Amino acid sequence: MTVSPADWQALWVSVKLALISTTLLLMLCTPLAWWLARRRRRGQALLEALLALPLVLPPTVLGFYLLLWLGPNGPGGLVAGLWGAHSLAFTFTGLVLGSVLYSLPFVLQPLKNAFLAIDQDTLDMAATLGAPPWDRFRNVVLPLARPGYLSAAVLGFAHTLGEFGVVLMIGGSLSGQTRVASVALYEHVEVGDYAQAHQLALVLVLMSVVLLWGLFRWQRRPGTLT
Amino acid sequence: MSLQVDLKLRRGDFRLTVNGRLPERGVTILFGVSGAGKSSLLKAIAGLQPCQGLIRFGDQVWQDEGDSLPAHRRPVGLMLQKPTLFPHLDVAGNLRFAARRSGADTGRWREVVALTELQPLLTRGVAGLSGGEAQRVALARALLTEPDLLMLDEPLSALDAERRQALMAVIARVAERLPVLYVTHQLDEVMTLGDHLWWLDQGGLREQGELTERLAGLHGPLAAGGQAAVVLHTRHRHYDPQHHLLELALGERVLRLPADGPRGDTPRLKVAARDVSLTLSAARDSSVLNILPARVDSLRDLGHGQCLVRLECEGQWLLARLSTLSRDSLGLRPDSTVYAQIKAAALV
Repeated sequence: MTVSPADWQALWVSVKLALISTTLLLMLCTPLAWWLARRRRRGQALLEALLALPLVLPPTVLGFYLLLWLGPNGPGGLVAGLWGAHSLAFTFTGLVLGSVLYSLPFVLQPLKNAFLAIDQDTLDMAATLGAPPWDRFRNVVLPLARPGYLSAAVLGFAHTLGEFGVVLMIGGSLSGQTRVASVALYEHVEVGDYAQAHQLALVLVLMSVVLLWGLFRWQRRPGTLT
Repeated sequence: MSLQVDLKLRRGDFRLTVNGRLPERGVTILFGVSGAGKSSLLKAIAGLQPCQGLIRFGDQVWQDEGDSLPAHRRPVGLMLQKPTLFPHLDVAGNLRFAARRSGADTGRWREVVALTELQPLLTRGVAGLSGGEAQRVALARALLTEPDLLMLDEPLSALDAERRQALMAVIARVAERLPVLYVTHQLDEVMTLGDHLWWLDQGGLREQGELTERLAGLHGPLAAGGQAAVVLHTRHRHYDPQHHLLELALGERVLRLPADGPRGDTPRLKVAARDVSLTLSAARDSSVLNILPARVDSLRDLGHGQCLVRLECEGQWLLARLSTLSRDSLGLRPDSTVYAQIKAAALV
């Protein structure tokens, strides 16, 4: 199999993007999912609907709005001004922002479900055994939610890896910076280079299969809580 | 230290107002029908359920109008009705969770593990434990928090009779140093362990006080349930191996009870009201071994042709359940002198 150096580079950009986005999402979604799972507040349904929007919205719609926000005339342009640039569109930072938004429900939902499955009595018991809130979170919630974290990480990673519509709108396909594997594949097809396309597609399929296989294998392991 | 509560609790339509004081040591039985709010009260005292009012333990204020001490800072050992073990830890891990945070040392650890007979289970996961095993782990865990107040919600309900006896002895020993609030429906646990009583009824604390005294009331919690019974405090006198009889002193009188051996220096006896009958003269030709002179203190009509008679005998109370016909034909009224025939009594 001969994947060209440019394609390896695109694969690396994809993996880097997925790793960074997933890490950010796990950090961001932990408090958010905990808050959504433990409280019932007015307006919560609306908030959850907005957070789930990337599930149903065509990626190009999301990409279009992101393009406006990240561009020179949006808030992204203002932020970019801090380090002398004038736009976040067509940058790796912009891609990370887009991916975080796009993959958010895939990380948030498993975490929220994992937190919901933890019995209040179990947490109460930890409190009467002398564990303060952070201690309870660290030593009861996190270990019990571990399968949820694994699902969230794998789904977030795989979904970012497969991102196309959003990247197409805000990525710009700059080699080594914003050209991700899915876009590189599209470009091969556009110019009729089916051989290259085959190889890249196969690598992506294999990566996804391995990831999901690992996830399901782990979930079915005897003695794990799911 | 003693616990003092004066609190109001509301949950949907359910309201509970409790104003009570727990003695400095000894087991206080928290009695009440299901739904009376027993578990909610325990949780409120532990700081797990919001409530209004005052909770004070010794000179510490756990809750007042403005402030509430968070649950993890209250020195409470709590065992909920379901054992609620941590599923991600094994038995030892569950115990360690408590011991690490309370600073219980190895000596204490060994003692608690031995008392609850958990040694063979320590490396087991909690998912495979039986109900009784899980209760023993939960009890050990509560003891390892080194609490100043122990609250147990039906802690022995899933255990077999032998283990229950053993663990009741453990709890009784703990209660020699600190107050224990104990929820149970089991009459033998009430009689064996109870020193005091809190009776929750109709959204409030209907009675509180010394258990023996409360049980012997004509309107006591057991009388309401049709199971009226009293506890007699006796002293050991003699064991007669030939007839398998234990002789116990009740004041100046002697009670004889079938038993396989002596049962300590101060055995408690449970005597159910339905096992006591009354005569006006001492029968000499009866097979009943225990016939005691007594004085009628008061009577209560239970309806359905039944009545409950409270008797004073050697400074302790007895209850007898009779038909109203017997009452009238014997002409019983307060201060009548009678003989109480105790047909059965159980060592508890």
